[in-house]
Amino acid sequence: MVLLDIRNLTLELETSQGLIRAVDRVSLSLREGEIRGLVGESGSGKSLIAKAIVAVLNQRWRIKADRFHWRGEDLLQLPFDQQRRIIGRDIAMIYQEPSKCLDPTATIAEQLHESIPTDGLPGNWWTKGRHKRKKAIALLHKVGIKEHQAVLDSYPYQLSEGVCQKVMIAMAIAKSPKLLIADEPTTALEASTQAQLFRLMGSLNQLKGMSVLLISNELDSIARYTHRLSVLYCGQLVESGDTARVLAQPLHPYTDALIKSVPEFQPDLQPKKPLFALPGSIPTLQHLPVGCRLGPRCPNARKECVHTPVLERKQHHYFSCHFPLQYKEPR
Amino acid sequence: MSQLLQVVELCKSYRKQLGLFRQTRVQALDHINFTLSAGQTLAVVGETGSGKSTLAKLLVGIEQPDDGEIRLSGQAVTLSNYRKYNHVIRYMFQDAERALNPSQKVGAMLDDVLRFSTVLDRQQRQQRILQSLQQTGLLDEHINFFPHMFSAGQLQRVALARALILEPKILILDEALTVLDPTVRAQIVNLLLDLQQQQGLSYLLISKNLRLVRHISDHCLVLQDGRVVEEGPTEQLLDRPQHPHTRKLMGLS
Ligand SMILES: Nc1ncnc2c1ncn2[C@@H]1O[C@H](COP(=O)(O)OP(=O)(O)O)[C@@H](O)[C@H]1O
Ligand code: SF4
Ligand SMILES: [Mg+2]
Repeated sequence: MVLLDIRNLTLELETSQGLIRAVDRVSLSLREGEIRGLVGESGSGKSLIAKAIVAVLNQRWRIKADRFHWRGEDLLQLPFDQQRRIIGRDIAMIYQEPSKCLDPTATIAEQLHESIPTDGLPGNWWTKGRHKRKKAIALLHKVGIKEHQAVLDSYPYQLSEGVCQKVMIAMAIAKSPKLLIADEPTTALEASTQAQLFRLMGSLNQLKGMSVLLISNELDSIARYTHRLSVLYCGQLVESGDTARVLAQPLHPYTDALIKSVPEFQPDLQPKKPLFALPGSIPTLQHLPVGCRLGPRCPNARKECVHTPVLERKQHHYFSCHFPLQYKEPR
Repeated sequence: MSQLLQVVELCKSYRKQLGLFRQTRVQALDHINFTLSAGQTLAVVGETGSGKSTLAKLLVGIEQPDDGEIRLSGQAVTLSNYRKYNHVIRYMFQDAERALNPSQKVGAMLDDVLRFSTVLDRQQRQQRILQSLQQTGLLDEHINFFPHMFSAGQLQRVALARALILEPKILILDEALTVLDPTVRAQIVNLLLDLQQQQGLSYLLISKNLRLVRHISDHCLVLQDGRVVEEGPTEQLLDRPQHPHTRKLMGLS
């Protein structure tokens, strides 16, 4: 079943210089039980898209989409409170800096209890407290925290970022969401803790069938953990498809550059040899090029590129480029 | 030949307040030894709090070791000759955007560094400034730019120019590359590799990104609680990690 089906999402900001299009006709879909990666450099619009999905963008943003379906229902057509209710029930989100998202003045126990919905608990009102405590402990075990009592009694500042992020995940899964959005969840963490967290999300996905939208600016750190991948550049979707397929055979020059810039994906590259690097850097919203936004940095750009390329498809592989890299039939 | 940098039995501890009346001492660095020769890159990996940044602080002379020695080309350095040796080891900021004064033009910022640490006259300073901009792939006219006028990648180049302007022999990169976006990082990595090749610059790379460590460094130290638990040529160490802590850092256990 398709959980999320977004077509041509456009997010525009009202500024004194007029409307600025930060996200330009991006399509994104997510099936039940899928882990999808959303990759792009800072400022490419990843967080904006995530915020649009959980409906927390403020009034200055104009949201347009040809379709914005959540489990077959068009969210943009619903009244705001109903939209919020559905999202609150089904979607949870975790952020980059867990220690800043937790309340510094309350213990983990208090914060975790608050995130556990009372409705689902057995018993009547005077036994609910006990059930809540039990559930909180079970949640901590589920995210791999064994010393539950020490953690429950702590304030966020007493815990490491890694443990805080596990607590955030415990809070996020308390209501058994259908979709977990993780916005650069491991950027602030050690490599070893990063691997743990990815494995944790992977097992929640397997055991609970929870879908995950995994957001990152590093292709290599999430490629291993995702089934499908969408690559953004500067607010435009440049490529999407099965992760393995996209990595093996990128069609878009930007995806190609991302892959080539990571030494790990270049087994033949000797240590200390120059990496593949696109010239220049991502433009700011005030200075967006017309047409394909990669244009000024793209090694393949020609004059046609001043027209925005449309999303094309080859089997399950989507790309938007006038001059895609050579396509080879999958074996 | 004497090594460019030699660190001998370096120790540093901090007092840490536990409540109102209790204190403990944290051994941030515990008898550290290593050497770094010209044109080489030494990587230091370890968890937060393992002593990496303390090591960087001792090397640039912001803090003094409790015990042990730092030798540059065979000569022990002390805080009293700090001015002389702060030219030799420089530090590149992690967050260029926050580290640079937003109301100061790049030219003036670089000039301040030179005025503080050298006896060069105005014209010589101007020449050095242009040279360091050129080295890092920036343009002469960037002298008149304020930090906000640069992109993230260019800002990192400005930070690099600031570190290189005193013509150091060793550059400390404390997570300076980790935070960058991939295409910008590739550019800066290439620039650093190039400088190393052209000028024999040495790097001390502190990074949690082990892929980067593998690509850039020759030798690697693994720190845990202020101690070196494993060291060796990078490729060998990452291909066949021996110590359980190294394996843990690599996400293998
Ligand atoms: N509240 C805001 N006001 C103005 N610009 C914003 C705001 N939020 C985001 N942007 C801009 O929108 C673009 C995309 O931002 P974001 O979604 O945060 O990117 P990412 O998460 O991929 O780093 C950036 O250029 C950013 O500066
Ligand atoms: S459309 Fe043109 S500029 Fe854009 S990625 Fe393709 S070739 Fe490059
Ligand atoms: Mg973001």
